[in-house]
Amino acid sequence: MHPPRKLNKAILLPLMLLVLFGTVAAYSGQDASSDNVTQRMPDDTTKANFVEYMSKNFGHDQKFLAWRYDRYQSLINNKDITRNKEKKAFLLTAREEFTLERNKSRAYDHAFLDIDYGVTISGPHLVMRMTSALDIQDSDKVLEIGTGSGYQSAILAHLTPHVYSVEIIEPLHERTKGIYKRLVQAGSAEYANVTLKSGDGYYGWEEFAPFDKIIVTCAIDHIPPPLLKQLAPNGSMVIPVGPPGKQTLLKVKKEVDAEGKVTISRQDVYNGRLSVSFVPFTKTGGGTWSGKSPL
Amino acid sequence: MEREVSPLNQQASGDGISSAIPDRRTYFFLAVALIAGAIIALQITVMRLYSISGWAHFGSMVISVAMFGFGFASTIMCLGQALFERHMDRIAKIGLLIFGPLIVLGNVVAQHAQFNPIFLLADNQQLLNLLINFLAYAAPFLVGALLLGIAFLVGRQYFQITYAADMVGSGVAGLLCMNAMLWLPPEYLLGVPLLLWWGGALAWFRARSDRNSPRLLMLAGGVAVALLLFLPQIQVSPYKGVSYAAKFPDAERIYRALGAHGLLEIYSSSYLHFAPGQSDMASLTMGDLPKNTYLGMYMDSEGPIGIMKPLPPDKRDYFHFLPMSIPYLIKPNPESVFVVQFGGGISTRTAMDAGAAHITVAEGNPMIPTAMASEAVKAFTGDLFADPRLTLVPRDGHLFIRDTQRRFQVIDLSLADSSGLSSPGGFAVTEKFLYTREAIAAYMRALEPNGVLAVTVWNKEDPPKSTLRLFATLAAAGRADAGDRAADSFYAVQVFLSTATVLYKKGGFTPEEIAKLDRHAQDMAFDTVYRPNERFKGDATAMLSGLRRMVLEKGHASQALDERAVEEGEEGLDFSTTTLYRLMLDRMIHGEDAKLIAAYPFDIMTLSDDRPYFAGFIRLQDLPSLVDRLEIISDEWGYLLLWLTLGQAALAGTILLAMPLLFGWRTIFAPQPGKLGILGYFFALGLGYILVEVSLIGKFISALGNPVISTSVLITGMLISTGLGSLVSGRFLKRSVTVMPRVFMAIASILVLYGVMLEVWLPVIGTLSWRTAACILLLFPLAFLMGFPFATGMSWLAKLGKEPFFLWAWGINGTFSVMGAVMVPLVSVSLGLSANLYLAAALYLMAWPCFFALLRPSPGSSSLAR
Repeated sequence: MHPPRKLNKAILLPLMLLVLFGTVAAYSGQDASSDNVTQRMPDDTTKANFVEYMSKNFGHDQKFLAWRYDRYQSLINNKDITRNKEKKAFLLTAREEFTLERNKSRAYDHAFLDIDYGVTISGPHLVMRMTSALDIQDSDKVLEIGTGSGYQSAILAHLTPHVYSVEIIEPLHERTKGIYKRLVQAGSAEYANVTLKSGDGYYGWEEFAPFDKIIVTCAIDHIPPPLLKQLAPNGSMVIPVGPPGKQTLLKVKKEVDAEGKVTISRQDVYNGRLSVSFVPFTKTGGGTWSGKSPL
Repeated sequence: MEREVSPLNQQASGDGISSAIPDRRTYFFLAVALIAGAIIALQITVMRLYSISGWAHFGSMVISVAMFGFGFASTIMCLGQALFERHMDRIAKIGLLIFGPLIVLGNVVAQHAQFNPIFLLADNQQLLNLLINFLAYAAPFLVGALLLGIAFLVGRQYFQITYAADMVGSGVAGLLCMNAMLWLPPEYLLGVPLLLWWGGALAWFRARSDRNSPRLLMLAGGVAVALLLFLPQIQVSPYKGVSYAAKFPDAERIYRALGAHGLLEIYSSSYLHFAPGQSDMASLTMGDLPKNTYLGMYMDSEGPIGIMKPLPPDKRDYFHFLPMSIPYLIKPNPESVFVVQFGGGISTRTAMDAGAAHITVAEGNPMIPTAMASEAVKAFTGDLFADPRLTLVPRDGHLFIRDTQRRFQVIDLSLADSSGLSSPGGFAVTEKFLYTREAIAAYMRALEPNGVLAVTVWNKEDPPKSTLRLFATLAAAGRADAGDRAADSFYAVQVFLSTATVLYKKGGFTPEEIAKLDRHAQDMAFDTVYRPNERFKGDATAMLSGLRRMVLEKGHASQALDERAVEEGEEGLDFSTTTLYRLMLDRMIHGEDAKLIAAYPFDIMTLSDDRPYFAGFIRLQDLPSLVDRLEIISDEWGYLLLWLTLGQAALAGTILLAMPLLFGWRTIFAPQPGKLGILGYFFALGLGYILVEVSLIGKFISALGNPVISTSVLITGMLISTGLGSLVSGRFLKRSVTVMPRVFMAIASILVLYGVMLEVWLPVIGTLSWRTAACILLLFPLAFLMGFPFATGMSWLAKLGKEPFFLWAWGINGTFSVMGAVMVPLVSVSLGLSANLYLAAALYLMAWPCFFALLRPSPGSSSLAR
């Protein structure tokens, strides 16, 4: 029994190592090639190059790719996106997957679109302006309040693997979950990193707090204290605040100094260029407010 | 056989309906009254349905188009007069049978073709839906207008009575409709115009001795009722607040009521949270509130306004973080507090939390206290109004305070308008009498020595507009009240793009109080924008001219997109809201505001009872420089839509006027003298009457409390009085030449008198228990006299055989009525409500010479001279 066992061991060990190595190599090779594509900036030198690159590597529809590229150019011109990481996130995200069938032809319009349930998918300019305002780092933990169509969290998923999103309307949450499931199955692995739940976003998501960045896409008349609490020191949040139907998009920063003093500052996301209804407004000047906490 | 009852045959005999037996004539006048009533009831109902299901100002736009049905009908009838007269009876019959079903069907189609203003600019389908709305409502109005046109033709020999029936029918139907709104669910409100239509059609067939048509009318009535009952008549837009609340998983509607102010609904849900203006510092020290602390209140599906339950003692620091609590820092445990508007009750609860011994709280909407007293709401909030500390004043706060002799230690006017001062989404131009110079002077007058007035408003514009208009008003009233001490009597804070609070203390703030307020502002991270004894030292001229260039001049918009320009500001100037507030409040309170207000890029003139608007911030001369950048003035879109509606009305009116001119000036009208005079006459009357009616609705709100009651009183009071005037005018027909100039003079004089004196009279009338009757009495002489000119003019056209003009004149009148209705808010915002009355006075004086042109006899007809 012993010789054969020795023989077996002698054969099996290298074989097992070989299989293990082969498997790891195969998987890492697969990951590496996938990462190479999803982590690399797509070719944006010309519209034709972009369309060819994306359709070849991702199989996206060429018609939508052409529109995406046109919108991309206007977002750059309008300074809604300035850094490469957000440019890449926009170019890699197929907005048409998150719009209703009847609105697909207008997926890249500079406009709100209806997604049923009395909810809209914000225009690309607003989504990217909010994203840029947060300057998300690749290790950031991000909380989104108001999943809606799922497009905003899809953009976020290209910037960090730690995305958490809460939606108040249960059927909309279910629909968006279904969209992500389908996209993950189709090969968009990064969307598997988006954790969704249906619930009251006012209370944030205590279980995963604190968050480095919070993005609120539904309106309220004040900044919910639970969200500010769950915001990590030196974290920031974008949130539309104001009376019903008249909100302004704010960027709120929570800074903690060496003595433990907390400073919360508010700034118009558009530096004063936005006043109502998510439409750009032109203004120079600071528009920055800050106050020291009594603590 | 039917030819025997044809109006043409009767008219051919020269006597119209008069050849019918007297009781048939009564049926005819009844039919006119009911059909006219059905049209106005339809108009009111459609506006109501729009308010609940969609967006009210689009409702007025759609209605204004639909009302062109009158102009269109008159044009058709004028152009195709011969053809029309041959088939008039048949057309009337068909019209009467389809009018009712069309009313319901038009509404069903429009409700299904919903549109949302936020998608309108970008989505063609939305534009198509808006067009469908126009057409769906235009159809029944067109039929209604044709029916009235026929009625006018048939009854032209007795035009004063026919017109009186039209006016009285409209007035009574308006009243009926307004009352029906109090008890009839909105989905069945179209039953009112249907009922009037059915009665009117039956009366018409009786008058015409038509025995066959009533059977068909039964069938048409059945169809209309079936459509009303079985097809959804109201589909609330999914983008209105109530639709969203209804989707919360645990949402439950616990209360629903109809009333003069509309449809009130209250929802409970753990997903509702309110803390307007709450300091961000709350997150550092305040614990979470218990779940289910709030209810959401919705008026006509808009909202929510928060209603909160009493908080447990360990959670009461919630109030400390709200701006409404600021006056109580220097007036703790006040003896007497006046809360100008109850709303959802957060200000009242803040006063109770501050230890107020007695709180007087006003609420002009009686539906809210009724809702608060309902078992469903009481189970949540407790019986708030049973609290012995509380006294409810069931009137508008500004009316109460103007009248009272009582004095208060604290007067609170906080977020009285839940959606902010200007409301672009709903009504573009609404009267806000709570914030006028006269109202604020009354609040200041009602303060005890050392009492505090606290005004908190939404602060959502950058650069600010409506808040500065309010600050200018507060400063002007403060200077008048405190004189030299005004500069010591104000203290103001803001939270960037959240709320702003201005305190005014009678007798001025003490250094200790200022220190206390400073400390609180620092603790709460509120930004102090005015404090006594501290002047703003910046260069006002440079700042404002720089701001003006930035906002209004082309090229600066794109330049400002450069982030460096944003950070550094143009020419190194600071245009932040805080700095602007500091500058403007400093200059306004020190009485150095005249040049400043003129130099500001937006119109920030003070509010008065004559100009009580937070709208129209763009000066007309600046509009052309902004048309290519409309997105930067998106909060003015509602107001700009009014200009668009006026343009649309003017275009449609011109086309309608031009058509008979193009086709008939040389043929139909050729032998008729005084053409331009007739045109001028009915233009002046159409425009003049509606300017008076609509502007008085706005004026009378200050006495009657709310727009619905004011509209109801004005429509009913004016139309019935005008109808009576029309009826009586028949007695003076033969003496028109001497009587009418006196009538025109009297109307113009009363209008000027009203323009000057209503501001004084109406607040006094508002304090009377019989104010509705007093308002009708006040209206009567004017409206009665205004019944003379139209009826007299039309009667003379008929008498003088100027047949072609008869319908055309009616069309001109209708067309300019529509234009006038749109003009009123525009004139009021720019020049004040009284300006409409002066303009109307001028128009009635213009009608005077035109009347004599109208009297010029046709060749071969009887003339006045004879």
